[in-house]
Amino acid sequence: MLACIPSATLYGVDGRPVSVEVHVSAGLPGFTIVGLPDAAVRESRDRVRAALLSSHLSWPSRRVTVNLAPSGVRKSGAGLDLPIAIGLLVAADVVPSRCVEGTAFVGELGLDGSLRSVPGVASLVAAIDAEQIVVPAAVSAEAALVAGERVRPASTVAEVVAALQGRCPWAETAPLEAPKAETKEPDLLEVRGQLVARRALEIAAAGGHHLLFVGAPGSGKTMLATRLPGILPDLTRDESLEVLRIHSAAGSTALSAALARRPPFRAPHHGATEVAIVGGGTSWLRPGEISLAHAGVLFLDELGEFPAPVLDALRQPLEEHVIRVRRARGAIDFPARFLLVGAMNPCPCGEGGLPGACRCSDVMRRRYLRRLSAPLLDRFDLAISLGRPDVEDLLDGPPGDSSAVVAARVHRARALAHDRGVRCNSELRFDTADGPSTLSADAAALLERRLRSGTLSARGLHRVRRVAQTIADLDGAPGVDERQVAEALQLRSARSTLMAEVGQ
Amino acid sequence: MTSATTLTDEQRYGAGLAALGASPGVLRKFLDGYAPGEAWEAIARGRHRADPDRRYRDKAVPQTLDTVESACLRSGVSVMVLGHADYPPTLAADRQAPAVLFSTGDVAVLENRPRVAVVGTRSATHYGLGVAADLGRDLARAGVVVVSGLALGIDAAAHAGALGVEEGAPTVGVLGTPHDAVTTRSQAALRDALGARGAVLSEIPPGVHSARWWFAVRNRVMAALAHVVVVVECHHRGGSLHTVAAALARGVTVTAVPGSVRSRASAGTNRLLVEGAVPVRDVDDVLTAVELCVVTRPHITPPSRPRSLSRSPGSCRRPPPLTAAQSRVQRALDHDPATLESVVRRSGLALGEVALALEALADAGLAVGAQGWWSRPSG
Repeated sequence: MLACIPSATLYGVDGRPVSVEVHVSAGLPGFTIVGLPDAAVRESRDRVRAALLSSHLSWPSRRVTVNLAPSGVRKSGAGLDLPIAIGLLVAADVVPSRCVEGTAFVGELGLDGSLRSVPGVASLVAAIDAEQIVVPAAVSAEAALVAGERVRPASTVAEVVAALQGRCPWAETAPLEAPKAETKEPDLLEVRGQLVARRALEIAAAGGHHLLFVGAPGSGKTMLATRLPGILPDLTRDESLEVLRIHSAAGSTALSAALARRPPFRAPHHGATEVAIVGGGTSWLRPGEISLAHAGVLFLDELGEFPAPVLDALRQPLEEHVIRVRRARGAIDFPARFLLVGAMNPCPCGEGGLPGACRCSDVMRRRYLRRLSAPLLDRFDLAISLGRPDVEDLLDGPPGDSSAVVAARVHRARALAHDRGVRCNSELRFDTADGPSTLSADAAALLERRLRSGTLSARGLHRVRRVAQTIADLDGAPGVDERQVAEALQLRSARSTLMAEVGQ
Repeated sequence: MTSATTLTDEQRYGAGLAALGASPGVLRKFLDGYAPGEAWEAIARGRHRADPDRRYRDKAVPQTLDTVESACLRSGVSVMVLGHADYPPTLAADRQAPAVLFSTGDVAVLENRPRVAVVGTRSATHYGLGVAADLGRDLARAGVVVVSGLALGIDAAAHAGALGVEEGAPTVGVLGTPHDAVTTRSQAALRDALGARGAVLSEIPPGVHSARWWFAVRNRVMAALAHVVVVVECHHRGGSLHTVAAALARGVTVTAVPGSVRSRASAGTNRLLVEGAVPVRDVDDVLTAVELCVVTRPHITPPSRPRSLSRSPGSCRRPPPLTAAQSRVQRALDHDPATLESVVRRSGLALGEVALALEALADAGLAVGAQGWWSRPSG
């Protein structure tokens, strides 16, 4: 009269094991679910009933109690439909209990008895410790990436029951879809002129340095930013899996069908809410845009238009590569290691970059920059002013290197960083004894002059050194010289005025 | 600085009348033929002939008087009513002089000295800021009172230049806001420095919310105070043109600093020059205009013209030897600011080389850079 079926529920991007206990006893017919179910789980009673009846399986007209253990964890989503249905059949003696031994179940039921895919199946099966795991056929490939041979795909509840009773064999796991001929990423070849901005993109990609473009409308900020993923190195298998898990947990089917090889690019609109950007939500804590950009690029166009709380929420993930979402109902850490590219106009009229050209009042300028905080601006290692490209450049300017050529240089620079024991130079630490190669005397003198004149802060010093190291790596230089430091200083020059205005 | 512990009745009612929120013209009518106390009484009873609709009667209550008096005392502002002994005679002669004036510092500095208004845009270029600072400095040395509006940009640069001269002439600021208005830290510091070394005037009582139109209205005060107006940089329809219009209406000489024809910040000044304003290259040109103006006013001390101020091009300084890359980058610079991008392309060098050369040129004072825009230094 009692069945206990292992399954899992999604908690952020991770799965949590859940044991579905079904008890069928004499008494007035009824159906109760306990153990902190959310609305989707509570409604599973109607789905399970319809699915069993349309599959010509019995629905016991007795007292049914379903407990989802551990009862302190809130369960969400419809993925517990299948384990509840199977538990019911076992408790009602339709399926002998020995048939389900060591088998876990995940899946949502349709009223016709079909099995529907659930978000985050990769994370769910990773949390389950069972000999075999039955999953909807539609997501079996994704599950197999994590659980391999243990996955048992099925497309209807009748098929599951037949296989459990040994009447027919389990279906084959669908082979993992080969990555679709990936949509061609925009190429740097299409950018005319913009030597400095191209260089900044290359340095950002090689060293993982966050990048800010400040420029008038039409100076090509967006065009440049969309070309950054194209010069980033391919994802490693671990990164791909992580990206897959995050996107799958967010309910995005586009990526979960295939293991992505290329870093994701996310460009949320500035109207997005804080929850949409950092993650969270009322019923189901789901990853936000910054987690969807994990291992890739987060592009915030019109940085000054984003609500101040959203921008301030970025500070922690930028530092720790993780966003800790705290809600009354629970605390979740979402991975969020992304390369941030910001683009903004220098002021509301857009002309403020060129000294003397701005038509805005002081109040307008201050209001526009009010949302940017100094700590956020401080996170950008690279900040450059863009002017509108020259007409000659647009018509027949010399095309620069293609993305493939730049990507090769980026790859070499990253390999050098790897030898230093970091993923990329932005993670270098200079306060430890085993820091990277030291500065030349000229370079140190230049930095000292800047420090003494007050145009460089202590924190800025480390950032400049990291960028200079990346430049040296890209140039194949043996050490960091005055030239690299001067370049690194120039590539953050747009920051100073913004800081001055924000600091007021 | 005069810091009274209480206001006289006259000051009290004068400040109260200003706090009613009437325009400067109406305020003058309030006091036309009335003593401040009488005017207040008449408005409170709805019998003032300048207030036939009794629009100000509701505000003319004792509480208004108390509020404005305490605000004046709190911010150390002295109150001067037109037609009374302490009101600056220079300003009193003007047809549109403010009926009630609030000041800090010593308004006596306005008398018997030549006065030049240095005005211009807030969104100024390096060039404009440099010229404004130089003019402020040299005018203060020559014993000329610099009058300006205390805004950011040209105004602040001119004041800072004048304040940088030890033992120089006093300077005067004319606010478009009340004395106790919230401003940026740098503006507040400038306001305090001016109060210590000259005077700060406003026609808006402390504790009152100011409106935008006050900025245009106060420009007539600057024009009324100045013997010569210098516009350093001004956009096509910039606020400085209000000052110019007010100066022309009073027969005050208007001069302008020429700028690049491509610079938006010089569009207004260049047009003034086309329309016949006197061009100004340096302080000598301003002093000539001042001398022409004060020659008919014997009570004004003519400006002193120190010998060191005679026109001397800045290039007499021996330039430091430049490397090949540095001189290429220097040739790529222009007086108009250009992005790093343009400098890189014009010089044909790699970004690293350009960056290094720019560092050296900036150190030697041969290049000016801010927010990633580079130009040759002015002057």
